[in-house]
Amino acid sequence: MPLIAWDDRFSVGVTAVDHEHRELIGLVNETHERLKRPGADITVSNFLGEIYTRISAHFALEEKLMRASRYEHFSEHKADHEQLLDDIRDIMDDYEDRQVFDEERFAQRLATWFSDHFRTHDARLHHKLG
Amino acid sequence: MLRYLVAQSGDEIFRRRALLKTIQRSGRLAFTLVEHAFDHAFGPRINPFYHLGALSFFFFWVVTASGIYLFIFFETSIEGAYRSVEYLTHEQWYLGSVARSLHRYASDAMVIVVLLHLAREFVLDRYRGVRWYAWITGVLLLWFLYASGIGGYWLVWDRLAQYIAVVTAEWFDWLPIFGEPMARNFLNNAAVSDRFFSLLSFLHIGIPLFLLLGMWIHILRISVAKTNPPRAIMIGTLLALTVLSALYPALSQGPADLDTVVSVVRPDWFYLALYPLIDVWSPGVAWGIAGGGTLLLMILPWLPRRREAAAAVVSLPNCNGCGRCFADCPYSAVIMLPRTDGLPYDSQASVNPDLCTACGICVGACPTATPFRRKTELIAGIDMPLLAIRTIREKTLTATTKLEGQDRVLVYGCQPGIDLTGLAQKGVGVLTLPCVAALTPSFIDFVITRHHADGVMLVGCAAGDCYHRLGVDWTEQRLAGQRDPYLRGRVPRERIATAWVAPSGAKRLTQALDAFRSRLRDMGPYQKGGSLPPPSASPSSNHGEVSDAAYRLG
Repeated sequence: MPLIAWDDRFSVGVTAVDHEHRELIGLVNETHERLKRPGADITVSNFLGEIYTRISAHFALEEKLMRASRYEHFSEHKADHEQLLDDIRDIMDDYEDRQVFDEERFAQRLATWFSDHFRTHDARLHHKLG
Repeated sequence: MLRYLVAQSGDEIFRRRALLKTIQRSGRLAFTLVEHAFDHAFGPRINPFYHLGALSFFFFWVVTASGIYLFIFFETSIEGAYRSVEYLTHEQWYLGSVARSLHRYASDAMVIVVLLHLAREFVLDRYRGVRWYAWITGVLLLWFLYASGIGGYWLVWDRLAQYIAVVTAEWFDWLPIFGEPMARNFLNNAAVSDRFFSLLSFLHIGIPLFLLLGMWIHILRISVAKTNPPRAIMIGTLLALTVLSALYPALSQGPADLDTVVSVVRPDWFYLALYPLIDVWSPGVAWGIAGGGTLLLMILPWLPRRREAAAAVVSLPNCNGCGRCFADCPYSAVIMLPRTDGLPYDSQASVNPDLCTACGICVGACPTATPFRRKTELIAGIDMPLLAIRTIREKTLTATTKLEGQDRVLVYGCQPGIDLTGLAQKGVGVLTLPCVAALTPSFIDFVITRHHADGVMLVGCAAGDCYHRLGVDWTEQRLAGQRDPYLRGRVPRERIATAWVAPSGAKRLTQALDAFRSRLRDMGPYQKGGSLPPPSASPSSNHGEVSDAAYRLG
C-alpha cells in the first residue's frame, strides 16, 4: 500500500507545480517500497535525504511563483514550508542519533502535512494562480 | 624557431605576470593600511573605501542638484557669466555661494573617488577576465568626467577659465578637425561671441548627461549594482562638503581679460595636471600622453588576461527553474531560459561562461545542494566543476573527522579574503571556498546537528567589502531567515560565528575564534531539541543595509 495516495484535490492548476506534487508523492512511495524490500539497495538516510532535497527544491519553485504573483499569504505559506523542512530534518536526526526509523510516524507526519497543506495553502494558491 | 618564439613569449608572459603581481601586492598593501585606519574610525560597514563606485554616483547627484540651482542664476554671455557667478558667490553667500562651492567640491571629490576606484579595482585584480567590460567602459568615462569638469572651469570665465580656454583651443587645434583654428575665438575680448558661450553651457549639460548614460552602461553587467552608498556615508559626506563650502567658498580668480595674457593661475593639480604640459611641451605630446594612457589602460585587461576557473554548470535533471541562482549571482552570469528538456517546467537556469567568475554563490543558493543527500546522487542543480558540492561534502568530513574535544570548530573561509592557513590547529578544521556564500546553509545544519563539529565559523571579507560584492550580505540574510535558502530555524544560532575581516585583521580573527571556542566549551555538546530561537535572530549584529532582501525574479 502506498504511503501517500494522490488526490485530485492536490492539484493547484499550475502544470509545473502539479507535476512536482505527483513526482514527490511518487518518490515517497517508490523509495519507501525499495526500502522495505529485503536486501534494500538504499538506506533510510538516503531515502530521507533525497526526499528532503526534493521537497526543498519544490518549495523553492512554489515560492518563486508566489513571489512573482505577489501572493498575499506568502509569509504564512512560506512558514508552513519551513516548518515541514524542519520536521523532516528532526526525523532524519532522530534516525541518525538512535537508528530508529518510525515509519508510521513519518508516514503520518507527511500524510497529515500534505493533506493539510494542500487543503489550506495550496488550495488558496490555486485560486490565485489558476 | 617557432618553438623558441613560443618559449620566449611564455617567458615574457610569466615575467609580466610577476611584475603585475608585485605592483598589485604593493598597491593592495597601501590600500590596506589606509582602509585599516578608516575601519578603526568608522567601522567596516561605512568605510568609504568600500563604496568608491557608489560614492561617485552620490557625488554626481550632488553636482547635479547644485548645478540646477546655479543654472537658474547663471547668465550665458561673456559679460554676464563672470558677473552672475560673482553675484552668486558674494551677494547670495547663504545659498548661491554654498551651491557653487558644493558644485565645485563635489566634482573634485568625484574625480578623486573615481581615480581611487580605478586604482583599487586594479590592485584587487578586479579588472581582467569577465570584468573587462566594466573596466573599459570605466576608462572611457574618465574622458566624459574630464570634459564635464573642463566645461565647468570654463563657464566661470575668470582668469583660470581664460587660461583653460586658450590652452584647450591650442590643444584641439593641433588635431586637424577644425577648418578654422579654435584659438581665433580667444584672440581678444571682441572675438568671443555670446553664442559660443551658449554652446559651452549646452555642452556643460550635455556631456554630464552622456556621463550618466555611460555610468549606467558601466554597471549594466553587474547585478544588484550598488549605486547608493550607505546612508551614514551620504549624510556624513554631504555635511562635510557643506561645512567646507561655508568655510572655504570656491572663488573666482579675477575676471577674464583676453586683451592681456594670463601669467599666473592656480590650476588644481589632480584635474588640470595636463594643462601646463600642453603649454610647456606641445599639444602633440599632451595628446600622446592622454591618448596613449587611455589606450594602455584599455588593453590592460589583456596584459596578461585573466583566466577564470571553470564556470558553473547546470544539471537539468536537478533543476526545476526555481531561479534562486539567478537571484543571487553577482555577475548576471546566470539567466533563466525556456525549458529545453521536455520536463513540464517553465524555465531552467543557464550559465553564460563569459560572465562567470566561478565564485560559487549560485551553488550556495541552490535548494538541491544539500549534504544530506546520498553521495552518489549528490549533484546540485547548479554546481562548480572545480569544487563540486560533493567535494565540499567530502572535504567537510575530512576536515572534521580528526577534530577532538568539546570545542571543535569547522571554519569555512573565502579564498579572496584573509589567509586562513595558520588557523588550523587541534580542534579547528579549515575549508576554503571561492566565496563564503558558496556554502549552502544546510552545510552548517549538517556539521552541527550531525555532530561533525561543535560549532561553525564563517570567515569572509570585511563587511561591506566582499570581493564578490554580495557574498557577505547574502550569507547574513540566509542565516537570518531573510533570504533563500534559509538556515533552518532549529539550528542553534549560538553555535555559529561569523567574522568579516579585512586581510589586516588576523589578530582579531584569532581572538574571535578563541572566544567562540570558549563559548562552545561552556555550552557542552550539541543536543537536539534545545533552544528554539526566533527565525529572525541573526548570529552577528543586524545591519540596516542587510535587510534588502529584494529578489530578482526570472
